[in-house]
Amino acid sequence: MFTRIYQQLAADWVNLAAALLAVVIVGGGLAYVLLQPRLFLLGLKNLRRNLLRTMLTAVAIGVLAVMITTIWTIIYFIDLIQTERSKDLKVIVTYKWSVPSQIPMNFKDYLDPTSPGLLLKLREPPTDQGKPLYGKDDFMIWSFFGGTTDPQKITPDTLIFFFVMHPDQIIPMMDDLGDLDPKLVQAMKEKPQACLLGKDKLKAINKQVGERFRLTSFNYKGLEDLDFEIVGVLPDGRYNASALMNMEYFNAAFDKYENKFKAPHPLAHKRLNLIWIRVKDRDMFDRIGGVIEDAPEFNQYPVKVETASSLIGSFLESYRVIFMAMKFLLVPGMLAVMALVMANAISITVRERRTEMAVLKVLGYSPNQVMLLILGEALFVGALAGMLAAGLTFAFFNGLWGGIPFRIGFFPVFRIPESAFLWGLGIGAVTTFLGSAIPAWTARSVKVSEVFSKVA
Amino acid sequence: MSVPILEIRNVTKSFTRGGETLTVLRDLNLVVGEGEFLGIMGPSGSGKTTLLNLIAGLDKPNRGDVRIGGQAVSAMNEAQLATWRTRNIGFIFQFYHLLPVLTAFENVELPLLLLPISAQKRREQVLNALDLVGLSDRLHHRPGQLSGGQQQRVGIARAIVTDPTLIVADEPTGDLDARSAVEIMNLMDELQRGLKKTILLVTHDPRAAEHAQRVVHLEKGQLLESAPTEAALATAVSAAQ
Repeated sequence: MFTRIYQQLAADWVNLAAALLAVVIVGGGLAYVLLQPRLFLLGLKNLRRNLLRTMLTAVAIGVLAVMITTIWTIIYFIDLIQTERSKDLKVIVTYKWSVPSQIPMNFKDYLDPTSPGLLLKLREPPTDQGKPLYGKDDFMIWSFFGGTTDPQKITPDTLIFFFVMHPDQIIPMMDDLGDLDPKLVQAMKEKPQACLLGKDKLKAINKQVGERFRLTSFNYKGLEDLDFEIVGVLPDGRYNASALMNMEYFNAAFDKYENKFKAPHPLAHKRLNLIWIRVKDRDMFDRIGGVIEDAPEFNQYPVKVETASSLIGSFLESYRVIFMAMKFLLVPGMLAVMALVMANAISITVRERRTEMAVLKVLGYSPNQVMLLILGEALFVGALAGMLAAGLTFAFFNGLWGGIPFRIGFFPVFRIPESAFLWGLGIGAVTTFLGSAIPAWTARSVKVSEVFSKVA
Repeated sequence: MSVPILEIRNVTKSFTRGGETLTVLRDLNLVVGEGEFLGIMGPSGSGKTTLLNLIAGLDKPNRGDVRIGGQAVSAMNEAQLATWRTRNIGFIFQFYHLLPVLTAFENVELPLLLLPISAQKRREQVLNALDLVGLSDRLHHRPGQLSGGQQQRVGIARAIVTDPTLIVADEPTGDLDARSAVEIMNLMDELQRGLKKTILLVTHDPRAAEHAQRVVHLEKGQLLESAPTEAALATAVSAAQ
C-alpha cells in the first residue's frame, strides 16, 4: 500500500501537494498538541459544548470530501492515463486511416522481437545479427472479438467483448495485471478455449468459474460459434467488465472457417487491431516510431505510431469540456462554497463567544493563543472529518464495486487511489482554514474593554 | 500609607463615538498602597469600569501613566500585557464569566496553564484556591451546576490562584442576592486581611463599599476622596491596640 501511495505521489502534482499539505497539517497539529496541550484540550471541550453544530459541521465537510474524492478520482485517473510518461512508454501501432484499426495479422511478424521477420532496423547494429531494440516481454498484440451468449436476445448482459491476446503477454504487458496469478495464464495456455472474465461480466452472464458458455460473434460474422471455459476472474477494478481470450483459439476459428468454406474469412486479413511495444524512453519511441512509419512493409496498409496516452486522449476528446469543467469549475466552486459555509458557522461561534475570548485575554492568554484556539478547533474538525469521509468513500466504493462505477468509454470503474486519504485531509483542513481564518482573526482582535463595557 | 502598589498619574481617557469625543477620565491621580482595600464608587457612566480597564491593562490611557509594582502598564504591548496580567492581576467580574464547558477546577486552573509550573504544583494551587473559597466539594461541577454565589466564588478562586499583585473586582456582588453578596464580601475581607491582598473594588452598592478601607468617588472623570469607612476605622483601631 505504501509503495502504491509513493507511486501515486510521484505521479501527480496534486497528490504531492496533498502530501506536503498533510505533513504541514499533521506536523502543525502535533506541535500544537505538544506545545499547547491544555489549549488543545480546551478546544476539544469547546467542540463538545454544541455537539449538534459540531456534528453538522463535520457532516458538511464529510459530504464535501466524499463528493470531491469521487470527482477527483475520475479526473485523477483520466489525467494519469493521458500523461505522457518519460520512461517505459508504450507504443501503439494502428491502422492509419480508420477507427477502429484493422491491420493484417502478418504485421506482427515485422514487429515481434522473437520473429525472424522482425524489421532489420529494429535491431541493434549490425542490423542483421543484433539484438532487437525491445524484448519479448515488451511486445503484445490485440484483436477484438465481440459476441453474444444469446443471439435471440441481444442485451448488454449477453454481450461479451474479448481482448484477444497471447496469454504470455498478459502479465508483462497489461496495465494493472502484473499481479495476476500465473496459474490463470497457465490455464489459458493449456486450454485454448479458456478465458478470463471480469467480475461484473461474470455476474451479467450469470456464470461462475469453471462453467462454460457459447458465443456468437457480431464483429466476425460467419465464424462458427465459439465455446469458452471460464478459468478465472480478472482482478477487481478497471477490468470488471472486460474479458480476455487466447489468440490461438481466435486464429483457429479463422482456420476452421477457411477449411470449411475453402476461402478465408472476409476479414481474416485484417483481424489484428493493435500492436503494443514498450520502449525505455522517448528517444527510443521516436526511433522505433520512425522505423515503423517509414517501413515499406506497411505500405499497403499504412500504420501510425502513437503513445497509449495520446490514443486514449483522442478517444476522450469528446469528454474534454466536461472534465475541464469538473476540474476547474466544479471542484474549486465546491471548495469555495464550503469555505464560505464554514466562515459563516465559525463566525457565529466566535460572535457567541466574544466575551469568553475577552475573559481568556484578561486571564493572560495572548491574542495569538486565542486565535490558535479557534483555528485549532476548526482545523481539528475539518481535517478529521475530511480524512474519515475520504477513507469511508475509499472503503465503500473500492470494497463494493472495485471503484466508482461511472462508465466512461472502456473504463467501467475508477478505483479510488490510496492517496485519497490525503485529499480528504487536505480538503477538510483547507476549507476549514479558509473558513476560520477571518473569524479567528476577529477573535484575536477582540477588545476586552469593549466586550466588558457591553456586558456591564 | 504603605508602599504604593498602584500609581495613576495624570491619566486622561476619552472615547470617540459618532464623531464626538467624550472624556471619561480627566487628569486623574490615584495611589493605592500594598495590602490596601480600595472601594471605587460613582454613578453609571462615571468611568469606573474604564478606570479598572486601564489599571488591568485592558485599555490604554490617552495621556498619563499607570504603574503597578513599579511597572508602566500603559507602555506594554498586547503580548507583554497578556503575560504581565497572568502574574499581576486577578480579575473578578460581575457576571463571573466562567467558561461553561470547564469544571470549577478547570476554570480556576486556566490562568495557571500559562505559567511554567509543574502539573502537581498547579493542582495544589488550584485546590488551595478552591479550598479558600469553600468549594473543595465542587471541584468537578460545571458553572451550570453551581449557584450564582458559588460561581462567583469560583471566579474569586480563579482571580487569586496565581497569587497576583492586585485583585480587581468589578461589581462582584452586582448579580447576587443579598445573602450571597454578604458571603462574597466577607470572603474578600478574608483575602485582604488574611492574605494581605491589595483589592480594588468597583461597586454601586454602599454595603459592599463598607468593606473597603478607603472609598473614592468618581464623578465627571475626577476622583473625590470619601471619609474613612467603618472598615478603615476598625483596621485603625485594631492596629492601635
